[in-house]
Amino acid sequence: MKIPLRTLLQLSWRNIWRHRRRNIMLFSAILVAVSTVVLANSLIRGWQVQMLDTVVTSLNGHVKVLAPGYLDDPSIERAFQLPGGYKPALAPGQLRAWTSRVVVPGVILSERDTRGVQLVGVDPADELQMSFLADAQIEGEFLASADDRRVLLGAALAERLNTGVGRRIVLMTQGSDGRNRESGFRVAGVYRAATGGLEKVFVFTGRAALQQMLDTQAITELSLRLHSNGDRAQARQQLQQGFSGEEVSTWDELQPQAASMFEFADVAIVIWFSIMMTALAFGLINTLITAVMERVRELGMLRAIGMQPGLVILQVVIESLMIVILGVALGISLGVFFVQQLADGIDLSQWAAGIEGYYMSTLLIPSLLLSDLLLVAALSLLFGLLASVWPAWRAVQVQPLEAMRR
Amino acid sequence: MTEVIRCNGLTRTYQDDGVPVHALAGVDFRVEAGEFVSLAGPSGSGKSTLLNCIGGLDRPSTGEVYVDGVSLGALSQSALADLRLIKVGFVFQSYNLIPVLSALENVEFIMQLQGVAAAERKERAHAMLDSLAIGEMWDRRPGELSGGQQQRVAIARAIVSKPVLLLADEPSANLDSKTTADLMELLLRINREQSMTIITATHDPAVMAYASRQVHLVDGMIESDQCADNAAS
Repeated sequence: MKIPLRTLLQLSWRNIWRHRRRNIMLFSAILVAVSTVVLANSLIRGWQVQMLDTVVTSLNGHVKVLAPGYLDDPSIERAFQLPGGYKPALAPGQLRAWTSRVVVPGVILSERDTRGVQLVGVDPADELQMSFLADAQIEGEFLASADDRRVLLGAALAERLNTGVGRRIVLMTQGSDGRNRESGFRVAGVYRAATGGLEKVFVFTGRAALQQMLDTQAITELSLRLHSNGDRAQARQQLQQGFSGEEVSTWDELQPQAASMFEFADVAIVIWFSIMMTALAFGLINTLITAVMERVRELGMLRAIGMQPGLVILQVVIESLMIVILGVALGISLGVFFVQQLADGIDLSQWAAGIEGYYMSTLLIPSLLLSDLLLVAALSLLFGLLASVWPAWRAVQVQPLEAMRR
Repeated sequence: MTEVIRCNGLTRTYQDDGVPVHALAGVDFRVEAGEFVSLAGPSGSGKSTLLNCIGGLDRPSTGEVYVDGVSLGALSQSALADLRLIKVGFVFQSYNLIPVLSALENVEFIMQLQGVAAAERKERAHAMLDSLAIGEMWDRRPGELSGGQQQRVAIARAIVSKPVLLLADEPSANLDSKTTADLMELLLRINREQSMTIITATHDPAVMAYASRQVHLVDGMIESDQCADNAAS
């Protein structure tokens, strides 16, 4: 059967304008549904991007090397040494930044109070490529080098300890020989992080300074940040070859709760899309059935003069798809426009305490992925196609003679 | 002469609220090429049912219909559609033009389905409208044409691809007597000039008068079958 496509397109296009009002309503429904889905997807995706960023920059990195047993007992006894001049060997283009740290539990004392914290010995230059400190507001000074014997405190902790820039505090922890060590440090700066939890936990000082206090040359972790989250499994495998005696973990293994939420975001996008599209599909089917049944006589006539049933179905489907394609194209455009209007982010600071548990910061910035837009477009067209085939198929079930009598 | 239609023992029984209605009750009927036949009879006599069975729009309960030597009983819906597209032209009581297409496009439509090239299609459609004296109306849509003009477009559409058979079901039902006379003159001219076989179903004596053969049906059976030498004009 030769398909007179041009004829069908011409008929379909003119039929759309023949029932202008109804088709404008149908088009508007698709427009609203698709643009809403695009916006919602970008917000969920934005949350997911933020969640990943929060987890990775909270000293996890994408991949981390730890001594065996460190996670259960994070002490300096569970440390390891890096070979001299070490540099991670990953596939080209994978590595964004890396650093080694000494992270041990300790106690911080001020004249006012005492708190349990994580003492983190860092190389400040590396840390600006690796952690949340790059975006944190610093009051006072940042650490100068790995030898810097001053500390950087979180604002929430400084407030609790009633201390500040230039004041002295005392750090206590267990040294590599198992004996307690205690040393005075001056506060170089106070940082403000996107989430208050970090400010209460991490106390930074120079890595060499902390190693000196602990009387060790070892580190407790090697942390790597990658360009793409998707490369983490491969990076883990490559690192494991160089650290056969240590434990190499990806961020999702270190933070299973965050990993579950990350996966849930993908599911949430599909669930939200399915709900919207199912509702839209019912609306489409309803409208298209009405539209087709109004014209059952005309469709019967087309068959009576020799048009094949398959061509009649194709004509109705083309007509429906024209509206759907136009609605999806403009719906996506409108959704992208909405997202652009929110490019500076949505301020969620009034819910700051509540959203911290969801690895969100107080500014939610929507994120548009081309793959999400293509998914929305493809599934919308598929839904539109299925919703239009059914009424068309129903129409050709009526025999031409019976149809023309209606 | 060549036989175009042969019906053997046609019956057609409908169920109307569970009550069987015998629209055709045993019809044997033959039409030769070039004949102009009028199926006449009161409402419910079976003339439209017979016409629809011949055109492949309805299937007889029993019996067999042959169109141009092809047995319709063995054909699928798809094959019947092809038969209607290639061999049969239809003119309906209510014109049944495609409302979103112009007169010219309506006439072209059948040829588009047949795959005729655009240039040839346009030329033949224009020529057909000119020959039916509605050439100037080529760009008007059905809603902008009178009933008589619409029926002329419908006839143009039905015969433009030169089918072996033209079936017209109550073609004058919605027309006044002057327009009916013009229309029937037109069908008569087509019958004579193109030797096209025409069968009309009508209860209008003015229409019957143009046919060279008048078949009268009563209660689903042929009551009389006469050649009329005094066909109009």
